[in-house]
Amino acid sequence: MAGADEDADSALSLRGIYKSYGEVTALAGVDLSIGRGEVVALLGRNGAGKTTLISIAAGLHRPDRGSVRVDGIEMRDRPGSAQARLGLAGQETGVYPTLSVRQNLRFFGELVGLGGRAIGARIEELADALELGELLDRQAQTLSLGEQRRLHLALAIMQPPPLLLFDEPTAGVDVRSRSRILGLVHELSRAGSAVCYSTHYLVEAERLGASVAILHDGRVLAYDPLERLIAAHGDSAVELTFDGPAPTLAPLPHVRLSESTLRVPAGGEPGLALARALSTFGDSVARLRDAKMIQPTLESVFLALTEQSDSVRVAVANVNGSSVL
Amino acid sequence: MARLSFRRSLAIARQDWRVLRRDPLPAAVLVVLPLVLIPFLKPAFHLALTLESGPADSGAGQAVPGMAITFAFFLVGNASNGFFREHAWRTWDRLRASAATTPEIVLGKLAVPYLQALIQFGLVFGAGAVLLGLHVYGSWVAMIGVGLAYSLFLVLLGVLVTAVCRTYIQVYAVTYVGALVFAGFAGALVPHALLPPWAQALAPLTPAYWAMDGYRAAITGSDGSVIAILVLLGFSVAVGAGGVLLLRADETKVAWV
Repeated sequence: MAGADEDADSALSLRGIYKSYGEVTALAGVDLSIGRGEVVALLGRNGAGKTTLISIAAGLHRPDRGSVRVDGIEMRDRPGSAQARLGLAGQETGVYPTLSVRQNLRFFGELVGLGGRAIGARIEELADALELGELLDRQAQTLSLGEQRRLHLALAIMQPPPLLLFDEPTAGVDVRSRSRILGLVHELSRAGSAVCYSTHYLVEAERLGASVAILHDGRVLAYDPLERLIAAHGDSAVELTFDGPAPTLAPLPHVRLSESTLRVPAGGEPGLALARALSTFGDSVARLRDAKMIQPTLESVFLALTEQSDSVRVAVANVNGSSVL
Repeated sequence: MARLSFRRSLAIARQDWRVLRRDPLPAAVLVVLPLVLIPFLKPAFHLALTLESGPADSGAGQAVPGMAITFAFFLVGNASNGFFREHAWRTWDRLRASAATTPEIVLGKLAVPYLQALIQFGLVFGAGAVLLGLHVYGSWVAMIGVGLAYSLFLVLLGVLVTAVCRTYIQVYAVTYVGALVFAGFAGALVPHALLPPWAQALAPLTPAYWAMDGYRAAITGSDGSVIAILVLLGFSVAVGAGGVLLLRADETKVAWV
């Protein structure tokens, strides 16, 4: 449990967040703390609670229980002050379609208190950073989806706040726009903003070098820096392919991927696992055609953790005699 | 309680003004239509008023405020649309997640419809006086006072309608039905004295009746404008309180269906 000092030092601190919609539990006791300048990728399947969590962090919805602090300010007590310290780019593109890109940017600049030359300078700066320069006088509704998403993001950072909440900011955008957006997130975090970045693209979490929080069924299953998460939860494996049918590997746990291929879980020591496997093959070792070390990835960790959690849920439901559907 | 920042409300109002400027046609229609209809209604009102109380003016003294009041009611829908379109454009949550508080947002959203109502009344009465034979025998200041009070009522009713309607189609229905019902009770379609007795009895329960009463008093130079203004302010307080109590900022609104 984080102490008060850690909470005060965090750009975002969520403690014991519960939220239900009728019978549906969206969040069931979420704790999450994001330090200044840190990027946290919030991963989870559809319906895992990511958008609800971001909405609560942004002060759009009140949690049933729990505390939200933004830059040390309790949202429940001083929502205006807390919200002045965050920028939100929600899941759905929110721009004024009948107005120009410049008018959109100007409005959000005015809302955060920019004025005069500062607002013009900031518009130019963001237009450069997000390749919106040529589009400043175009109506937002005439932009492509990727351009609208870049504008959507720009509106959240007219004045970079201590905390940025981005909910699937790259959904539906092309590779070039995605690259721009990821680059911008890097810059923002380097400049000191904490970024909570929800995404389905796991590779983005890797490219951002983010800490990763895996949200599943309204709970945080794991929350660690990427390397530590993979080291803690990812298992490497050795994949062995034979000419003809693969031999039996009775004493060692393994998975038969095809008639000729076996996968042997290796824990943290793939070399040792390979040696053990080879020692059990006897004459069949002569038919070994290929041996591959399979390194764990964020995707494999994500799948392993969420599937493991599902298995536990099914087992508990079976014990209780209730349905999991 | 958090203090209001007029700077943020002003920023929101400016943005709504930009949106209005980008597409001014619906606002213009609310000025043009009454001016188009007044010449058709003037002779009928002249006859009706003559029957009621002897020789009367050209009928403009009834037709101009009547049409102004009838078409001003559509501003209830405009005020409400200011909120609904933020939902349609997915900018409502952006606004709410900004430093702007809900009271600041509401205040900002009401500024343009209020200004629009005042401009609308000004243009209709101005054109009525210059082009359509309206003579104000009483006080233009009283006319302005009634316009300010009734406009306040209309935009605050817009907040209440926003609070109770989930879809913009519902707002649309309320606005159209409300405009016609208010016009009937106000005496904008038939002079009040010629309404059926039950309608005459119910009319004072509607703010439109008091707006008409206040304008008629100012036009004919009789007493009654001040009372009408006070009653309109009372209605404004009532619907404003209803709006404040019922408006839930975190409720999702459906823009078109």
